[in-house]
Amino acid sequence: MSRTIRIAHLFPELLNLYADQGNLAVLCQRGARRDVSVEVVPVRLGSGLDIADFDLLLLGGGSDREQAVVARELFRYAADIKTGIERQLPVLAVCGGYQLLGQYYELSDGTRIPGLGAVDVVTKAGPADQRLIGNIAMTWGHGSVPDHNTVVGFENHGGRTFHDYDALGQVIRGHGNNGLDGMEGICYKGVIGTYIHGPLLPKNPHLADFLLQRALRYRGQPDQLDDLDDGLEWMAHGTVLRMLGIKTDDLGVTT
Amino acid sequence: MIQAIRASIAIVVSRWVAILLRATGRAGTSLPGLVATRLSPQLVHRLLRQLDTCVLVTGTNGKTTTTEYLHALLSQDADPWLVNRGGANLLQGLLAALLTVCDARGRLRIRRAVLEVDEATLPLIAQSAHPRLVVLTNVMRDQLDRYGEIDQTLALLRRGLSDPAITLVANADDPLCAALAEGRTGTVLYGFSSEVATPGFPDGVRDGAFCLQCGEELHYSGYFYGQFGLYDCEHCGFGRIEPHFTGRVSSGEAITQLEISEVAGRTAIQYSVSQVLSGLYNAYNLLSAVAAARTLGVAPDRLHAGLARFSPPIGRMQVFAGDPECVLALIKNPAGANSVLRALMNDPREMAVCFAINDQDADGRDVSWLWDVSVEDFISTVACQRFYCAGTRAADMALRLAYAGVPRDRLTVLAALADVTEIACAGPVQVFYILSTYTALHPLAERLPGRIRVPRAVGQEDSA
Repeated sequence: MSRTIRIAHLFPELLNLYADQGNLAVLCQRGARRDVSVEVVPVRLGSGLDIADFDLLLLGGGSDREQAVVARELFRYAADIKTGIERQLPVLAVCGGYQLLGQYYELSDGTRIPGLGAVDVVTKAGPADQRLIGNIAMTWGHGSVPDHNTVVGFENHGGRTFHDYDALGQVIRGHGNNGLDGMEGICYKGVIGTYIHGPLLPKNPHLADFLLQRALRYRGQPDQLDDLDDGLEWMAHGTVLRMLGIKTDDLGVTT
Repeated sequence: MIQAIRASIAIVVSRWVAILLRATGRAGTSLPGLVATRLSPQLVHRLLRQLDTCVLVTGTNGKTTTTEYLHALLSQDADPWLVNRGGANLLQGLLAALLTVCDARGRLRIRRAVLEVDEATLPLIAQSAHPRLVVLTNVMRDQLDRYGEIDQTLALLRRGLSDPAITLVANADDPLCAALAEGRTGTVLYGFSSEVATPGFPDGVRDGAFCLQCGEELHYSGYFYGQFGLYDCEHCGFGRIEPHFTGRVSSGEAITQLEISEVAGRTAIQYSVSQVLSGLYNAYNLLSAVAAARTLGVAPDRLHAGLARFSPPIGRMQVFAGDPECVLALIKNPAGANSVLRALMNDPREMAVCFAINDQDADGRDVSWLWDVSVEDFISTVACQRFYCAGTRAADMALRLAYAGVPRDRLTVLAALADVTEIACAGPVQVFYILSTYTALHPLAERLPGRIRVPRAVGQEDSA
């Protein structure tokens, strides 16, 4: 039986600051290699968005200027997105997209730029000269790949994000959500939000499969995925762990 | 007084550093400049202020090559021009160059200079250097961890160009560049002839997709490459202005001649120069250098003699003879990498390609830009059977290629940069291209001339 997933790529013309189309390429190809046909629908400004059509939303990051344009457009669908999330709709939100899902972004002068309010997350601007930049590694405990319990990537953000949900992982090296509480990202129902770009999924194939499986289940399809040859993926993953001085033995990771 | 003493100490110490470096065979770095900047932060400004004529070259891509072209074109009379070579375009690099022509009392022996300047350094030196002319090559997205967003780069350039006395030589085909020229008097524009544009809207344009004046989407009737094209904004009327220097090249094949038509008052004059380096992006570099040289008074019949002095900077489509021939090219951001890939796509020879990707500070720590490079078009066009990846981020590049459609059994991850030169001697290809980030470039350029032909079977590295 052929399986299908439909992904809404939100505003690719604006939100692709950190090569988020790399995430899509990974989802499409990893799906195709398991006979899951992944259909990507670019949702552009003014083209309308019916949440019911999709099994996964991808919300990337843009510059401040572009982010503001997107926020204006998305407000119309804020209620739909919130309802979808409560019904387990999978969402992958990166950087600015992650912030946008929350309640607000507070500027240094106290002004609050409202977000979609789809999750109870707030972000505050950090000091202008203290962006949180660098390679990052965190623990990964949500999936079912026993040999691979880390997620790696690159972060670059000025905002400090706070919430009480489960984090995507615990920071091993790097800054994470706010550089204070040792947490990175969010994992709430179907939502995965993160500051990791680089892009996120190529070097984290377990996370890519995790998203595919959630999207399959959301559409009521079998979520069994055969193993792939991920030699290159884990090599790139291991490069980051090594550069961060993380001994994989300590974590029970095999690369 | 204290400033002057600090400056003198800085000059003396940095000279010893330079002598030491030369003695240990490590000349040509910014280290003397770095040391001197630490000892006397004001020194670079004290020296720049002494320049009678200062010409600056800035922009995202093409600075180093354009500076070399311009230096060659200008250096045609008895008095020499000072130049900073090899992309040393930050404060310490500028200072290192100035120190080479500075006496022990802090006086410059050469009073005119053509200097390549990083976009963020331009506003820092604009006042002291008091440039007569600034060449702006283009404004594209560089490594994101350096300046954040393109808006920030534009703001830096605006500040650096705020003196209205500066003659700006700007790229008319780049909407971001042209936006910086808006409202200035005496701007000199260069661009390519609309006859050689590819009709339609450029693919994957992002940086120049929206009008900087009003924020609406730009309309393109044709394009050259990247965001360079024939654009206009239907909303506010901003659009490409017919350039003063118009270039014309034959497209599709190797570019050997660059035809230039120059509007001088009401008449137009035509001349042509030989294109030394391949690739349309290098034609842009040459065109901008000619526009600047002409503006500074170099006669058309002196262009040819000037270009004869040009020696290409390291790793800009640098050819190493051998079997197979080896070509080394710098890549450092998506737009630059795409233009290099386009040049390869025009090469019909059977090739192997190696990407040497490092992630040191000078390369950019963030390698996400690899995913913004148009690898898909490239691999579907070139006659390339074998792809190699090297450098600290070799595996990231290999993944990029794999997801672009390169079969994994045609991909080899090399353990060390040294392996690149060995691979370059093997394999039944006609040309071996090595595309390298900044910090891998010099080690590769040093090894390639001495490579020896050692036949060796190359298998796919076990990646588990």
